[in-house]
Amino acid sequence: MVKLLIKKQMREIFRSWFVNQKTNQRRSKAGIIGFTLLFVVLMVVVLGGMFTALSFSLAPPLAAAGVGWLHFSIMTLLAILLGVFGSVFNTYSSLYLAKDNDLLLSLPIPPRALILSRLLSVYLMGLMYSACVTVPAVVVWWIVEGATVSNVIGGILLIFLVSVFVLLLSCLLGWVVAKVSLRLKNKSFTVVILSLVFIGLYYFVYFKAQELIQQLIANAVVYGNAVQRSAYPVYLTGRVGEGDWLAMLIVTAVMALLTFLTWRVLSRSFLGIATSTGAAGAKRVYKERAVRAQSMPRALLQKELRRFVSNANYMLNCGLSILFMPVAAVALLWKGREFVDLLRNVIPGQPGILAALLCSAICLMASMNDMAAPAVSLEGKSLWLLQSLPVPAWEALRAKLNLQLVLTAPLALLCGACAAVALRASLLETALLVVVPLLYCVLLAAVALLLGTVRADLHWTNEIAPIKQSMAVFIVLLLGWLFAIIPGGGWLLLGGKMPLAAFLALLVVLFGGLSTLVIAWLKKSGAKRFETLS
Amino acid sequence: MLQIQHLTKRFGDHVAVDDLSLHIAPGEIYGFIGHNGAGKTTTLRSVAGIQQFDAGEIRIGGVSIKSDPLACKRTMAYIPDNPDLYDYMTGIQFLNFIGDVFAVPADVRQSRIRDYAGRFELTKDLAQPISAYSHGMKQKLAIISAWLHQPRLILMDEPFVGLDPKASHLLKEMMHEVCSDGGAIFFSTHVLEVAEKLCDKVAIIRRGALVRSGTMEEVKGDASLESVFLELEAE
Repeated sequence: MVKLLIKKQMREIFRSWFVNQKTNQRRSKAGIIGFTLLFVVLMVVVLGGMFTALSFSLAPPLAAAGVGWLHFSIMTLLAILLGVFGSVFNTYSSLYLAKDNDLLLSLPIPPRALILSRLLSVYLMGLMYSACVTVPAVVVWWIVEGATVSNVIGGILLIFLVSVFVLLLSCLLGWVVAKVSLRLKNKSFTVVILSLVFIGLYYFVYFKAQELIQQLIANAVVYGNAVQRSAYPVYLTGRVGEGDWLAMLIVTAVMALLTFLTWRVLSRSFLGIATSTGAAGAKRVYKERAVRAQSMPRALLQKELRRFVSNANYMLNCGLSILFMPVAAVALLWKGREFVDLLRNVIPGQPGILAALLCSAICLMASMNDMAAPAVSLEGKSLWLLQSLPVPAWEALRAKLNLQLVLTAPLALLCGACAAVALRASLLETALLVVVPLLYCVLLAAVALLLGTVRADLHWTNEIAPIKQSMAVFIVLLLGWLFAIIPGGGWLLLGGKMPLAAFLALLVVLFGGLSTLVIAWLKKSGAKRFETLS
Repeated sequence: MLQIQHLTKRFGDHVAVDDLSLHIAPGEIYGFIGHNGAGKTTTLRSVAGIQQFDAGEIRIGGVSIKSDPLACKRTMAYIPDNPDLYDYMTGIQFLNFIGDVFAVPADVRQSRIRDYAGRFELTKDLAQPISAYSHGMKQKLAIISAWLHQPRLILMDEPFVGLDPKASHLLKEMMHEVCSDGGAIFFSTHVLEVAEKLCDKVAIIRRGALVRSGTMEEVKGDASLESVFLELEAE
């Protein structure tokens, strides 16, 4: 039975290898080879290469200082972090949210066999990520210190033990996520906040990494002693990589015990969580309140807004400017003048250059908002509603356009005003900082909607497809960058040849004219296309 | 109320609806029956203005769906066989959205929601997100939303699928109410007993073409609708 389930699980895991998730069509041979190459490049060359370089910078000095185990301890911690980060949500979704849980539980299959087969996929995912760190760590160690029987066995055992620990930790965190999500209200906002915290932490560690490594190498013995005293399991794990037989025995025994305990927790709680409808906790009962009628355009905009805030993926992938632009505005007010003075020393040149560059920077930030691009595709199977209701197609499209404008333009205006204050801008520079980003927002929203309408895909099985994987979103991103560099790049090229007022007029005509053209297309051809989508 | 004249719809080489003509008068409950893939849904979607058609004309209250689709849509409501509603809204948010689209005044809307949701025993669940609704609850919500603006013509594709017996009975009552107020109902069904008891007129469609239509007596005579249907299918 387990073998059969594992076979099914493997088919599911490697499905994306052979079948395009977006179109549900089998990939061509070239597609499969391309997909495999991309995967190998990403995992082996990019991730593996990065950690190989890190390992080469750590192993020799730490070995020389007599704390070689610290190299393995650091790499193990990194592997656990990467492995768990990569597979915790996968654990939650593949264990508890699998679409075929109900079907399989209705068959004469022991739940333990089901859990075991599901865990295998989680294990493979964890192994894939953790091996990107542990394999380079072990191989680099063998190169630096020379391979012996004990450190070869220790190294291989470490790779295995770390992957098992990643599995256990993922299971535990997946179980916590499952328990929490059963009680959670406003799931989408919570996911957005947690994701942003993770991203923030990632960048913090990324920027501090070099400094931390330098410090660590310079004080290897001090840090090594501190870790050995206060975090003995971390020390022992490092010793496994070095080939210490006693450490191998102890860590393997502890891991076996942890595996047994995790299995007990999972097998006892699995059925309860997997079969929960997600309606735990108090059910909200409707209480009649006075209704406020609103116009159709407002109702349509509200509908778009509701969809946006209900979907964490939508917010994270298409609305990051909402967070970054206010932060940038505050930063401009707080440290803007110092920053501008610094820039004046670095970029001396024609007047208005700083305003043009800041204008480009604001546009670049605004380009992170592209919620209009997937908006048509996101109608999906519910498109029949807008098509059967007495809603003019242009009104439906305009609501999607307005969603992006409402969530971007005021923030761009705020940033422009703050930049003008920081720059002590002249009237013309202020106009450049305020008017051009506003027109840019209109242009980008219109272009996003145009591409989203032309390349609409209503037959997705996962909303990630239109939000993240669609060509429309990708092209909008590129065009957003291209349009954004026009003010700064243009003034660098043309600054000496025309007055700032003429350049501003040129930008207004360019952005305004393009916006008008695109909106005119949307009103006529776009609306016609929307009416006939199926 | 509804005139379908020589309606033809092709999907590539396949003719889904072939020169179909029907006339539904005010006060009529008109049943539309046929096997799977006969062209019922295509016809209903064309009448609802969701789907473009290749030839023919559809008039609702004398207005062409081709030349003035919005005017037609304002007077009718459509419920598909599997109503995919906005999962990210709650039931009450969805009903208010529909109310806003049809410009139903707030007080009128409130009293209708109270009435219909009460009848379908859905009032308590209106604050729940639609994603938490069962198929039957979604069907009830779709029915309430369709009735909210008191349309003159209601189009329904397999409306009884997923409804519990009480809700089915209630829907039949509501259909009669619409017709007694001068409205009309055009619906497809596979449940021939329901069609036989409920409909004033019935049309049988096969491979996109109309094979028989008229009053129930004209279509079935002394036989049962089931036997007539099976006989026509066998021809």
